[in-house]
Amino acid sequence: MSALRGRTAIVGVGQTPYYKRGTSPDSDVKLALRAIVAACEDAGIDPRDVDGFVSYASERSDAPRLMAALGTREVRFPALAWIHGGGIPGALGLAGTAIVAGQADVVVVYRSMAERVGQRLRVNVAQNDTTAQYLVNGIESPVQILALRAQRLMQADGVPRSALRAVTRASYYHARNNPRAVGRQTNLDDETYDGARMIADPYKLFDCSRENDGACAVLIVSAERARTLARKPAYILSAPMGTLEGGGALEENWRSYYATAGQAGLARRLWAESGYGPEDVDVAQVYMNNNAMGIGALIDHGFCTAENAGEFLTFENLIAPGGALPINTSGGDLAEGFIHGMGLVAEAVRQLRGDSPNPVPNAQLSLMTGGPGDWMSSTCLLGTEDTL
Amino acid sequence: MQYSFEEHRIVGGNGADDEYWRGLERGVFQLPRCAGCRRWTWPAQFRCGQCGSWEFEWVPLEPNGIIFSWTRSFYAFDRVVERRADLPYVTVVTELPGADGARVIGVLKGDETGLRIGTAVRGTIDPPCEKSKWYPSIRWEIVRAEPG
Repeated sequence: MSALRGRTAIVGVGQTPYYKRGTSPDSDVKLALRAIVAACEDAGIDPRDVDGFVSYASERSDAPRLMAALGTREVRFPALAWIHGGGIPGALGLAGTAIVAGQADVVVVYRSMAERVGQRLRVNVAQNDTTAQYLVNGIESPVQILALRAQRLMQADGVPRSALRAVTRASYYHARNNPRAVGRQTNLDDETYDGARMIADPYKLFDCSRENDGACAVLIVSAERARTLARKPAYILSAPMGTLEGGGALEENWRSYYATAGQAGLARRLWAESGYGPEDVDVAQVYMNNNAMGIGALIDHGFCTAENAGEFLTFENLIAPGGALPINTSGGDLAEGFIHGMGLVAEAVRQLRGDSPNPVPNAQLSLMTGGPGDWMSSTCLLGTEDTL
Repeated sequence: MQYSFEEHRIVGGNGADDEYWRGLERGVFQLPRCAGCRRWTWPAQFRCGQCGSWEFEWVPLEPNGIIFSWTRSFYAFDRVVERRADLPYVTVVTELPGADGARVIGVLKGDETGLRIGTAVRGTIDPPCEKSKWYPSIRWEIVRAEPG
């Protein structure tokens, strides 16, 4: 257990429409404002009262660019969680820590992207930190780097293609019920999956996340304040961030892990701090830059092993409402769309409120895992009042 | 010596591997070893986190290794479009038993037959060219049994 367990909660969610990359009529700053104001309206909080602004990775819409339009009275806690998609749950943890420490009262965690004014996400996401050791040798995109890990996960550790196909099919199945989902029209049967073009061996098209324009924001306040608001709070039980020795910026030289997500240490902290384990989780939003890395995250969190991944990761097991572990119930990064993974937080909250497009009945514990295989990562467990 | 890569610097790394590229450009494959505790330290660092030494020696070694992982790229991604004509091409992560298992990335050269994790490869050095962004590069080639 930790001093932060259940002390703060997500009380508002705001999401803009998701656009095909480069086609948003609005700039990233305007999208961020839309999402933040929507999250405030959802929570019943005046946007002027937001005094903490936390994001991650290469977010451009920082507090100074937003505060005049929001009417912000005072920015008290502006911060960025380091690294890429690995920082999302860590950003929630940062927000919660600030509130418990008395440094802010209402913290928004958000991410906004508009590639027309920004860059391709796959360039932007890397923050120009892809090293010469990769670029000299024809490796640029995260999909290529993650393909190296997937090759190992599949060929050396024995995770079968069927597991990749199952997580992808579950994501697209869930997207059908989500009006926001960019991939909702795609009927992803086995034939479509298997017949897709190769991007970077072993990754085919539907193994990859999308890149979209849009924004997503969630609002975090103290547990005491959360109980006075309209929406059912999603309490932050634990949101650890970090990396074990042997991780970091090591250019394929990770020794303590390689093919999984680098989240085993985080998962141990998550279960210890929350007092729960993988068997207790009702529903999971798993960041999938690529699907095999998401499988690595599930292995690191103890839902399955590389050896039994093929048995556990079946379409039936992964879908709402009745699967053993419904994942990515809005369609996730593969099928809903990809605002650098931030949409997963919104969906993790919706599951606890019961207003997911694919609700898991009576969901009490909702997991959201951060960017797997990132140099540093994070993970988060949200729970209802009953789980405190 | 005027080095090509120094005039075409790629930002993004920690900048500790200049001697690796200088070595390759002179035709020498070398990796850093901590001068204090003698550990191979790869990727290159400014300080040995194990013993605290700031000194490293760059040791030439035989580029013999085994394939740790690989991928075949089918798409000309933005910052490596120079390789468009070579698509699909294979990039290999090679593990070097001679350097405590340090893993060094390079593009596969020659026949792909036998391409899989665990296959023995040997490196040769390509001089700077456009495809390698005017850096020198190590190329990994699958080791074939000698005929007869």
